[in-house]
Amino acid sequence: MENASVPSVDNIRFDGSARTRWRLGFDRVIGWLLPLLFLVAILPILSLVYYVSARALPTLSWTVLTSTSPYRTDALGVPIIGTFEVMLLATLLAVLFGLFGGIATAEFLSDRVAGWVRMSANLLVGTPSIIIGYFGYFTFVLYFGWGLSYIAGVFTLSFFMTPYVFRTADLAFTSVPRHIREAALGSGAKPSQYILKVGTPIAFPQILTGVFLAMAIGVGETAPIVLTTQPGVLVPQTVYSPVTFLTQLIWENFAQSQSSGLQVLAFQAAFLIMVVVIALNIVVRLISSRYRKRLEGLYA
Amino acid sequence: MRWLRWVAALPALAPAAILIGILVALVGATSFTNFGWGFFGFHWDPPTDQWGIMVFLIGSFLTAVPALVFSMLIGIGIAVASATYLPGYLTRILDPFVDLLAGIPSVVYGIWAFVIVAPVFGSVLEPWLVMHVAFIPGFGPPTRTDGLGVLISIFILTLMALPITTLLIRDALRSVPRDLWESGLALGATRWEVVRRVAIPYGRRGIFSAAFLGFGRAFGETVAVAMVLGAATNLPKNVYDTGNTVAAQMFELLDSAIGGTGSPQILAALAEMALVLLGISLVVNVLGRRLIASLYTEQVQGL
Amino acid sequence: MSGEASSPSANGPVLAVRGLTVTAAKRKILDGVTLDFPPRSLTAVVGPSGCGKTTFVRTLNRMVELTPGLRVEGHVDYVGQNIYGPGVNPVLVRRRIGMVFQRPTVFPMSIFENAAFGLRLIHEPEEVVDRAVTEALVRAGLWDEVKQDLDRSALSLSGGQQQRLCIARALAVNPRVLLLDEPTSALDPAATQRVESTMERLKQDIVLVLVTHNVSQAARVSDRVAFLHSGRLIEVGPTADVLERPKDPLTEQFITGRFA
Repeated sequence: MENASVPSVDNIRFDGSARTRWRLGFDRVIGWLLPLLFLVAILPILSLVYYVSARALPTLSWTVLTSTSPYRTDALGVPIIGTFEVMLLATLLAVLFGLFGGIATAEFLSDRVAGWVRMSANLLVGTPSIIIGYFGYFTFVLYFGWGLSYIAGVFTLSFFMTPYVFRTADLAFTSVPRHIREAALGSGAKPSQYILKVGTPIAFPQILTGVFLAMAIGVGETAPIVLTTQPGVLVPQTVYSPVTFLTQLIWENFAQSQSSGLQVLAFQAAFLIMVVVIALNIVVRLISSRYRKRLEGLYA
Repeated sequence: MRWLRWVAALPALAPAAILIGILVALVGATSFTNFGWGFFGFHWDPPTDQWGIMVFLIGSFLTAVPALVFSMLIGIGIAVASATYLPGYLTRILDPFVDLLAGIPSVVYGIWAFVIVAPVFGSVLEPWLVMHVAFIPGFGPPTRTDGLGVLISIFILTLMALPITTLLIRDALRSVPRDLWESGLALGATRWEVVRRVAIPYGRRGIFSAAFLGFGRAFGETVAVAMVLGAATNLPKNVYDTGNTVAAQMFELLDSAIGGTGSPQILAALAEMALVLLGISLVVNVLGRRLIASLYTEQVQGL
Repeated sequence: MSGEASSPSANGPVLAVRGLTVTAAKRKILDGVTLDFPPRSLTAVVGPSGCGKTTFVRTLNRMVELTPGLRVEGHVDYVGQNIYGPGVNPVLVRRRIGMVFQRPTVFPMSIFENAAFGLRLIHEPEEVVDRAVTEALVRAGLWDEVKQDLDRSALSLSGGQQQRLCIARALAVNPRVLLLDEPTSALDPAATQRVESTMERLKQDIVLVLVTHNVSQAARVSDRVAFLHSGRLIEVGPTADVLERPKDPLTEQFITGRFA
């Protein structure tokens, strides 16, 4: 009782039929063509890294990086310090909101409520930065009357960074192996003791990647900063002072004029940001790969 | 001690609180009575009190939709190559480049596109297109010599959406069980036939979510577009012409208004534009996220 | 190594394995296996876990090439043609030599489209597909259960039904050989029994190669038993002979359960 409808064929070499030729040929051609699409990602990256470096490096000197003189228009000292100061406080705030929020979501919320909270964190990540920027401008600059200031920029940027820390903290605590969690809580540990003594050491590397990720995103953001601070010629003296952020400098130089001097400075700023962002990404990658290996070793 | 638990749970509301705060602030800053439905008109001219944003809304779709189509096609190609055709060691070398695309800040994309890419578009690509494909509607002359406009915006947005689409599609394809791939091959299917007939149908939820989230990214992108689209207030005549998007227009308007007092009219118009933008991006993000089963997708920037 | 190990005559072996060795980084997974599969037979390949029986069955339709780092030597002749020979395409080999896996692997589509999968690839006309699908479902012993709702999603079937659909899907392109890699290990006893009776019917007209770790299953359905140990073929012969009067002490140990 063999299948009468389809003849049983014994030939396993190419049978010369047009259909077979097409099938095998198409698969082979696709197998060569699709990998070439990687070039769409690789060529722009190489071009970007090359040209930004080529425009920035020849004139990038120690003086350019460190001079904070308010009379120099070719130095980056003030924006570098400004960026550092903004990032410092914004990261602290983002860690404060995000870390406690993420841990609370993983440990104290029912699945239903946690689902809503997670969705809102995801939506916040998907919210265009211009909207967060406008929100910061309207709320902090105008409504709270802080003006275009260091502190307004810090709060706006921290709102932008919070969901990234939040998500990794939540994920890190949610993925603590169930038996470890239950063993700790079952042996009479209070939730607070579990979080501090058991959960945090396990979740720490992953939370760290979340913080670095948030920093990489924060330091490259433009719209929220441009709309809530104004560039100053000095490093901020009070929290209401103007402050210059590197991305902001790129935008301002770009918007004001395309004179070559300002353009070089913008490229130098772009180079610095690019280096910082790529470095943070590499660190994230290293930590998470080591962390995964450790996890496999421990719980496999 | 039950109240202590409640207090401890409070910080969990941070992201929801920020989101609601944004909505309240935007609604507070606006009042639809100001403009009514005229807000969706075609004329934008603040001095004569005309606030139609239709030109920008069309501009947003005109740049984001082609960018999404390109980044989905390229993303599917890269994800398929990485999941089937390439050996593991090559995948491990090549995949990080796509992740790196996600890490480049948009202002860096913007300045690179403006200074390096735009001249190439203006002097080489666009004249070539006018010579050879002018018969396609929208591709005929005139061109601009500086290369700024719709075409380069689509190019930049494609690059910026590409990591999101690629990574989500790659996840979707990797979620296809190994047995299922092998069953297809064991039936005498070629690798491509297994991809098209088994793997893509199996991972279709992830692929749709890639489309939604990639669109969200391209639609909301601000600074890079503001730098290369040319900030016009009329509809682009062809793909080489300048235009503007809702996000970029908001950014430029605020940036220029910030030095002054910020008239209540402008603030209300901005709030309404923000609401439109937020509404659209919330819809696509909710749709996209609901399709993904996992808690959070791979830890990559901007996702 | 002779080019023509067997001739495609009516009673010659459908599949002839000659000196088959599979190496993974200097470790031999299979070591010089030589074995014939005559027409209309069901050969059970048994052995302790890790003996190479799954690798063995995967060499018979070149699925083994999907695992990187394995080297295959020796040859496998399908009606007289070495499937590892020059000019042979694995895609065409696998049309002639079908395979069913441990777990049911139905595709996310309708029951009908699952069974029609292999035929759609070669653009068979609709009426041919219709008839071939019906025949395949009948042969797999699934027709009576699904004929009412062929358009339903295959994922709605029970595990045992899904596995028989996988058998039908492989049968629809009319292969001469069907490889079954522990096809009942994920099924409950009732479903196992149905798959076994399907196998018993199929061995009336095609070659079945059944990998199983379950000696009593081999005893129930197979004509011949091949016992593999550490990548070597220890013993092969009619089921009753091997199971009741094993010649090799290793075989005897395995049958009496001392490996488990």
